[in-house]
Amino acid sequence: MNTQDLMTPLERSKALSAGAAIDRLPCIPIVGNSAARLINARVSEFRGNGKLIAEAHIAAYRTFGYDNIRIFTDLYQQAEAMGAEVFYPEDETAYLKTPALQKIKSVSDIVPADPWHDGNLPEFLEAIKITVDRVGNEVPVTGAVVGPFTNTSFLLGADELARKITREPQTVHALCEISLETAIRYCRAIISVGGTPSLTDAMSSSSVISPHHFEIFSFPYLKRLIDDIHQMNKKVTLHICGKSKPILSRMADTEADCLSIDTDLSIAEAKQLVGHRIKIMGNVNPTEIMLNGNASMIRNAVINCVRDGFDSPCGYIVASGCSLPTATPGENIHTMMNIVREIGYPVTIDKLERLDIS
Amino acid sequence: MEDEISGTYNALCQSVVDMDEPGVVNLATEALANGFEGYDLIEKGLSVGMKKAGILFEEEVYFVPELLLCADAMYAGLEVIKPHLRGNPDAAKAKVVIGVIEGDTHDIGKNLVKIMLEVSGCEIYDLGRDIPPAVFVDKALEYNVDIIAISTLMTTTMPRMAQVINILKERNIREQFKVIVGGGPISKSFADSIGADGYSANANNAISLVQNLLTEKQV
Repeated sequence: MNTQDLMTPLERSKALSAGAAIDRLPCIPIVGNSAARLINARVSEFRGNGKLIAEAHIAAYRTFGYDNIRIFTDLYQQAEAMGAEVFYPEDETAYLKTPALQKIKSVSDIVPADPWHDGNLPEFLEAIKITVDRVGNEVPVTGAVVGPFTNTSFLLGADELARKITREPQTVHALCEISLETAIRYCRAIISVGGTPSLTDAMSSSSVISPHHFEIFSFPYLKRLIDDIHQMNKKVTLHICGKSKPILSRMADTEADCLSIDTDLSIAEAKQLVGHRIKIMGNVNPTEIMLNGNASMIRNAVINCVRDGFDSPCGYIVASGCSLPTATPGENIHTMMNIVREIGYPVTIDKLERLDIS
Repeated sequence: MEDEISGTYNALCQSVVDMDEPGVVNLATEALANGFEGYDLIEKGLSVGMKKAGILFEEEVYFVPELLLCADAMYAGLEVIKPHLRGNPDAAKAKVVIGVIEGDTHDIGKNLVKIMLEVSGCEIYDLGRDIPPAVFVDKALEYNVDIIAISTLMTTTMPRMAQVINILKERNIREQFKVIVGGGPISKSFADSIGADGYSANANNAISLVQNLLTEKQV
């Protein structure tokens, strides 16, 4: 447990759902590759090294004391396990080099990944297992899982996906189906090692596709994936980067247990639209505030988010809008956690006003 | 007659907006056979269509896939028209070197800007994606361009945009080029903070941005 807190994240979360007293609001600065900084590792060293990923995330959790460990390096791990080629820069987040279907010629040759065997997925399971064994008794450990539509985009390539959505929708559906199978298998594997899946679906964003296409190509697969996770008695958070307002209500309809809101929508608006149906988290700007901001900017941003969200009927978690950039200064993450500690619990408007002025 | 002419341009424009690639090809072929000038078909037909598609994108009626299909349709039209183009009668057009900065391979945005600028008459040198800062400078010198356009979708690569400008300063050639930046995480304030000459929030506005900068440069 972090020495500055009175409760562990799990104690806090249990007390909160039981309506009991807690020490502060849960807070999740979404640490991904920035965890490498805590153990002086380079991002590329994470590749195929579950032990190192675990070590970095445990160190980051112990340093900052946030409320959820999320094992995540990049969006391409499931696609890689299905034949896509990923480029791993020396010290930055990996990116898609070649979509699977530029190498594999026929859709029928694309098969669902086996998370115990294919690509680097076994190392992620190892990382989750080690992390759960070491700190799982005090903090939830989640493994990021990419949504079926986004994974399909990495199989086809973004341009080809755009064309096929209109001209060959059956191909897109076939690939979403195979990607769903990969995601289901990976989620089950994550749960089997003691972790919880956490869904991320960047390409489903209204910054990329229309709400109409979301309805056809993304929603049905997300819903089935979330249903499967629920059958395993696990709760799941759904994150969609970028614009989400037009699809927010449908995101809630997936029956995910929490929606992670990016910075294109205010927490006040999200609360008004879906706060009565679902827990929400967000949305301190990861770049302008967490990477480039100073302490007072971070304080203000957190206070504003809390003011917007603390009375959301189904609950609110202070969080960054999206994964923090690798170079985010540790000091800024401490600042975010500390202001949440200072706000404490219960949150009142009076208290926020006083902190705002100070 | 006047109606017939504007009818041809409008139909071409509408086919681009409708993402109708065969429609664009047929209309362009027919129009060329009927004596229309290639430049007019691009400027009053294809380009207007792409501009309208850009507006629909801003209005969140169109999204990335729709815009890409409009671009496909426009490109199909350009391929038909290109062989029929005679020397550009207009004044000098901007020469632009464009690319995605090192560390990023997201090039949808860069490609849209490229298409928009191309259709507006710019001469484009597309460096591709994942391009080191020094290469932007070397290529800008090699092609003797007016404008360096840098794109990124990833926050992690933003400092490298500043490096391009620093390299220009180090080599005492900062004044030779206008530098413009764009992409998902980029803002006007970021562009100002690294001393860029311009920022556009979307591909559509990039056209007027480049035109304004060119005028500024020539004054």
